[in-house]
Amino acid sequence: MSTYTIPVGPLHVALEEPMYFRVQVEGETVVGLDITAGFVHRGMESLALQRNIYQNITLTERLCSLCSNNHPFTYCMALEKIAGIKVPERGEYLRVIADEIKRIASNLFNTGILAHIIGFDSLFMHVMEIREIVQDTKETIYGNRMDLAANTIGGVKYNLSNEKIKYMIKQMDSLKKPLEEIVDIYMNNKLVRARTEGVGILPKEEAIRYGVVGPVARGSGVNNDVRVKSPYAAYDKIKVNVNVETGCDVRARAIVRLRDIQEAINIIQQCLKKLPDGPTCIDYLPEIPAGEAVAKSEAPRGELIYYLRTNGSDMPERLKWRVPTYMNWEALNVMMPGNKVSDIPLIITSIDPCISCTER
Amino acid sequence: MSSFLKIAIRNLLKGPSTDPYPFGETFVPKGLRGKVKYNAKACVACRMCEHVCAGGAIQIREVADKSGLEFILWHNTCAFCGLCEHYCPTKAIRLTEDYHTAHRQEDKYRYVEKGFIKYVNCARCATPMVPIALELLNVAYDQVNEDIEKLRHLCPKCRQERAL
Repeated sequence: MSTYTIPVGPLHVALEEPMYFRVQVEGETVVGLDITAGFVHRGMESLALQRNIYQNITLTERLCSLCSNNHPFTYCMALEKIAGIKVPERGEYLRVIADEIKRIASNLFNTGILAHIIGFDSLFMHVMEIREIVQDTKETIYGNRMDLAANTIGGVKYNLSNEKIKYMIKQMDSLKKPLEEIVDIYMNNKLVRARTEGVGILPKEEAIRYGVVGPVARGSGVNNDVRVKSPYAAYDKIKVNVNVETGCDVRARAIVRLRDIQEAINIIQQCLKKLPDGPTCIDYLPEIPAGEAVAKSEAPRGELIYYLRTNGSDMPERLKWRVPTYMNWEALNVMMPGNKVSDIPLIITSIDPCISCTER
Repeated sequence: MSSFLKIAIRNLLKGPSTDPYPFGETFVPKGLRGKVKYNAKACVACRMCEHVCAGGAIQIREVADKSGLEFILWHNTCAFCGLCEHYCPTKAIRLTEDYHTAHRQEDKYRYVEKGFIKYVNCARCATPMVPIALELLNVAYDQVNEDIEKLRHLCPKCRQERAL
């Protein structure tokens, strides 16, 4: 059988963002892989150094649209660590709510795209329509469908009135039933199973070796959920059930994402029930001393780490972040070989790559 | 497959879920972060909005004849993040629910929110100063009495002398 090389990308119909893969194939089977990135580099680490601490809240939010809440959230946590700011308890709970609602929208988007790639477009449309419930909730509570602008230094910028809490409970309840339906389809539908089961295998030991994070790790039986392993914000006060699957394939990762959505609804409901009274944000302008800090959080795609160094002025001296996709895309070297050419976009989507975060 | 067929038929019977916009109404919740509105009367020119604005959309400058300060916000540079509203002590700046930002290419540089803060003269020494908004007094004091009301019309220097 002849061996040849085919290019996939940088602009590929099935992927939302540009990434270039040089795939070596033997007949229809993938044998090797070369990943080239760097098509959407925007120099944001440098931009962050030219802006003050407040402007960077907005800048980091625009790193990526799907995990846009986690970036300013983690950035603010790093800043608060340096300045020793104590966030009011209500603010901590509101931060968790904002984070989980973004997780629902992000995971629904990815599972929807998965259906689109396997050619099940009516399921894709249905999942995206369910996602509209979440989008409407975000627009009503935060004022925007994607960029929540919830976080600020020392707390959050939004508050939940009793009316809004009721609205949110109603919206979360209306998500449950359609969600159960689609979980059943992703788990049991013959067509979906035929395309996702046994595809893109990442064994547990390889998952540990590559240090993958988030749903990719949990789909291979590795539990490294930051929300449980090193709780931040209000996560130590609520119960988080981590979903771990042992299938190690595309199907397992999709199921982890869907189960994460159900868990996110559960977390939001816990938060709304326990929501303490009081201020949502500090009521003074913070003074940031010279220092450095690392903060991390569990983004929809996995562990997100921020490193921040300040020098006493209100411009950061260094701001660096390590995003989940950076850890996950190397594991494609394990997932790809042995699979068919038609499964390439499916396997890439199963790590939920966020190129705009990774290349910033 | 049959499980999804049920859902597909149900969706079909529900009809289209898209809004007929721009020919009809669309979903606009209260609290949507849209175009900024500025109220010069409540502004105390602390310039915090200018400082926190990520895009540099806000500028506060003294006008050429030195009769006051001019506030300009470029709608095309605004990111609708709402930091200016959050940090404004008197809420002179706020985001409205108006999301309509379509305009002609030739109006590109005129598509701004403007305001003018006219200097007032100090009641004692007649030095021009930024008027102190009532909204600021309400933030600083529980109750604004006559004495405080008098201080409002004095420049910082005269205020200090009077207080001592």
